Amino acid sequence: MTPVISIINKESGELVRSGRGLVWLTAIALVLSGFSLLLVGNTELSLLDNAQAVYMMMGTVTALGCLLAVALGSDAVAGERERGTLIPLLVTPLSKDMILTGKMGGLAVSWLIIYLISLPYLWAVGSSGQNLLPAVIYLALLGTPVVLGFGFYALILSARMASVRSALATSLITLIFLGAPLVLGPGLRQSQIGKIFDMVNPFAAALNSFDSVVIDSQPPGDQAFRLAIVLIWLILTAWGARRAMRSLQP
Amino acid sequence: MKTFQILMISIILACGSAALAASSLDITLRAEPENPATPKMGDHLTFSSIITNKGDAPLRGMVAWLSLVRVDPGYEQPVDLEDWSAKKAVSRAVVIPGETFTIRWPMRLIQDGSYRVVISAAAPGVERIVTSPFADFTVLRKKTVESSRILPVAIGVPLLFLLIALWRAAVGKRSQFAKKN
Repeated sequence: MTPVISIINKESGELVRSGRGLVWLTAIALVLSGFSLLLVGNTELSLLDNAQAVYMMMGTVTALGCLLAVALGSDAVAGERERGTLIPLLVTPLSKDMILTGKMGGLAVSWLIIYLISLPYLWAVGSSGQNLLPAVIYLALLGTPVVLGFGFYALILSARMASVRSALATSLITLIFLGAPLVLGPGLRQSQIGKIFDMVNPFAAALNSFDSVVIDSQPPGDQAFRLAIVLIWLILTAWGARRAMRSLQP
Repeated sequence: MKTFQILMISIILACGSAALAASSLDITLRAEPENPATPKMGDHLTFSSIITNKGDAPLRGMVAWLSLVRVDPGYEQPVDLEDWSAKKAVSRAVVIPGETFTIRWPMRLIQDGSYRVVISAAAPGVERIVTSPFADFTVLRKKTVESSRILPVAIGVPLLFLLIALWRAAVGKRSQFAKKN
């Protein structure tokens, strides 16, 4: 087993195979269950058709993924420092790039699990409607860079602030700010400021793409700009995380 | 008394000229032939309106808009066009005399019920709103989110994780017990 795989295995194993891991997996499932039951139980939501329910579910899954990414990213460096395991990790023959890859690999595995858990829910709310398959594809295509980007972002803060609590609080505030489109519908973002916010916000780009593909059945070509926004977010945060990791001294 | 007479004559003349100006715009409305015969929730409908300036003066700044009203007894209310992804309004800088143009009004049907759609138009030179004839349509109900599919998933997935947790706890206890003995 290569060292990077070992770190991925350790990071994801803590979340997936341990008893504590099952708690958050159950919590994720309960959130998605509660959300699905709200869709059934609330007669006001009879206005929603399947496509809108799928779109809302995709936004919720992406937000849950980002939340997990922020928690893991905040712990990645500062947590190791607080537990006294950062220096032993840095003095191993592993390069800092390998440590970063391992940490983010663990996050990617956890996101993959959330994604897999969400599939039966997406099927349950959307299988009698339109665009379920594009929904599944676009959730992976745009959700993954957004989630990993938040992981990298939290890792930058974790490395720079050297405190899990500070990194987590700052990352969560950023996530709530960028995740505002979840509660502010497109109609409320039609001002010039709202349009600029959407143009630079990776979370909004992903949500707008979900809306465009699932509800409006627009072609993949129309999503190129939004995909570019989330990829730029991923590249910038990955670059920042690499720099932050390289600045770490044993 | 004389003032009253002058006032009445002015009002009558104003109403007459308004009616004259209003009659310079003509709007027709029809459903597109490709629309589904029995539309249901989630389907798309398109209506077309033909607007003609029948007057002899150009109309500047004309705006035409769509109104959609639910007419089921007890549910009479205007529909939020944003929910229906419908085009709300179209404006034209100038409509020259005799000019005719067509506007398409697509919409996505969100809720079941009986509806009445009408196109209205107004322009600074036209004193009254001009409306098209009504077009009526009925949207059939389609189950949106089906509880028969959601309930097994909503209960089953967390239950699965709970069972795995219980199974792991039982295995852990058994191995601890085996180690002790």
